[in-house]
Amino acid sequence: MEKIIEILINGLSTGAIYALLALGFVLIFKSTGIINFAQGELAMVGAFVCYSFAMLMNLPYILAVLIALVIGALLGSVVDLLFFRRMVGEPMFSTIMVTVGLASIVTCISGIIWGHDVHSIQSPFTDKTVAMGNLVISQGTLYTIGLSIVLIILFILFFNRSLLGIAMKGTAEDPDTAGLMGVNVKKVHMLAWAIGTMVAVLAGIFLAEQSFVRLSMSHTGIKAMAAAILGGMESIGGAILGGVIIGVVEGLAANYLSGMELGDFHFGDIKDVAAFAIMIIVLMIRPHGIFGKEKVERV
Amino acid sequence: MLKVINLETTYNDIILALKGVSLEVPPNRIVTVLGANGAGKTTTINTISGIRKTLDLAIEDGSIEFEGQVINEREPHQVVSMGILQVPEGRRVFAELTVDENIIIGSYTLQSRSHYLRNRESVLGYFPILKERGSQLAGYLSGGEQQMLVIARALMPEPKLIMMDEPSLGIAPLVVKEIFQIIDRINREKHVAMLLVEQNANVALSIAHHGYIMENGRVVMEGPSEVLKEDRDIKEFYLGLSEMGAKKSFRDVKHYKRRKRWLS
Repeated sequence: MEKIIEILINGLSTGAIYALLALGFVLIFKSTGIINFAQGELAMVGAFVCYSFAMLMNLPYILAVLIALVIGALLGSVVDLLFFRRMVGEPMFSTIMVTVGLASIVTCISGIIWGHDVHSIQSPFTDKTVAMGNLVISQGTLYTIGLSIVLIILFILFFNRSLLGIAMKGTAEDPDTAGLMGVNVKKVHMLAWAIGTMVAVLAGIFLAEQSFVRLSMSHTGIKAMAAAILGGMESIGGAILGGVIIGVVEGLAANYLSGMELGDFHFGDIKDVAAFAIMIIVLMIRPHGIFGKEKVERV
Repeated sequence: MLKVINLETTYNDIILALKGVSLEVPPNRIVTVLGANGAGKTTTINTISGIRKTLDLAIEDGSIEFEGQVINEREPHQVVSMGILQVPEGRRVFAELTVDENIIIGSYTLQSRSHYLRNRESVLGYFPILKERGSQLAGYLSGGEQQMLVIARALMPEPKLIMMDEPSLGIAPLVVKEIFQIIDRINREKHVAMLLVEQNANVALSIAHHGYIMENGRVVMEGPSEVLKEDRDIKEFYLGLSEMGAKKSFRDVKHYKRRKRWLS
């Protein structure tokens, strides 16, 4: 019993990371209509920036995280300014190709700056655990889950209650009409990139907390995309649920299915396959994702 | 208040859409621009609003002045913050948002947020049906209700000038009448100037103070609406009446010989 609760909580914290990445993904897609394939790479840069400040310059951990978030926001704005401002209204395939290109550029530059070695960040939570009865959970896990929940609530409030959030939703649907209502569309797009990248950076830092800082951590972006698609690309709630489902399924698969043998067939590490299998099954039942809506159309 | 002088615009750098259009909207007045499809009415409004980039629309010559300032190069959101609101053609509501959220976006440029509730009350006073629809998705409203919503949305930020692009498009005649009565009331009670682009000359001239007739990117005729309503050519080509003032019979159409006087 303790074991399964532990697996669930750990899965939840991985899921929270996927959810945050997916959230940034949905945020950018919702307000600019661009599917950002570089989300994982941006998270990786965030983790490296945090590592540089916390470990190389010996700044306090919290300060390093805050600096990384600010740099993330700036990075997002610059990316929008350089690449995507002029891509608004272009076909989806061209914008996707630009994000794919961006992903490789970011990986290359990070490789030049930080090298290809594996690093780790010493945070105040590293190697500390909380014991509840027989349950032993690392502090990092709890802090990931807690902060993610706070952030997610903030985002939901932002999009449903604040003027700017509602204007962003409107801009996503029809940029021209939003402009006619006085919304500065360029500013909204830049803001979406800034916030989306900031969330990605935070996810990257959480990920570093649970494992290491290295170039290949950007592959998490693909799973986050699976989470976003699973939840239904346009829904914040969906992105979160999708992230949590994939995280928990991965945890369960890693513990119970990996290394299983069926006759002569050896399953190997099935963890990564499980996430996508779940995505495919859900999409077969609900093609628009769990919370995805078909476009509103009056007949 | 709004002055358009000799405006020339091109689409795609090559198609000359407006060939020197001049018109004026005085404060508190309703000015209508009439014309058939392709006359350049919507182009005129879009040029004033500043949504040129996505349409590949460029100003070649002439100027647009609002309250003495030239606004040729302004972005859409800057034009809106000066107090010019456009009600776009074809009821472009935010279909995926609720009616309330649509109205909130309308108030985006409202300077003092404390006016929001007051404005909302007064705007919804004109369109009581929208009050009941508050939490519904705007995409599921009927055509007439959507038209009401886009007008309500444009009224939220206390505009000085509203430019309406064919509010009668695709709406039942009875509802058109109702909407135009409300437009007239808004103009009188809120002192908002209106630039009303229409194909339905009859209903537009019934509430407008002044009218312009556009054809092929030019203004071919203008005058107070009383004068326009009595004009022989307008009666025949836009109001569909014969010289006797009665509805035309099919025989007259068949023996159609008269040319428009302004096409010489």
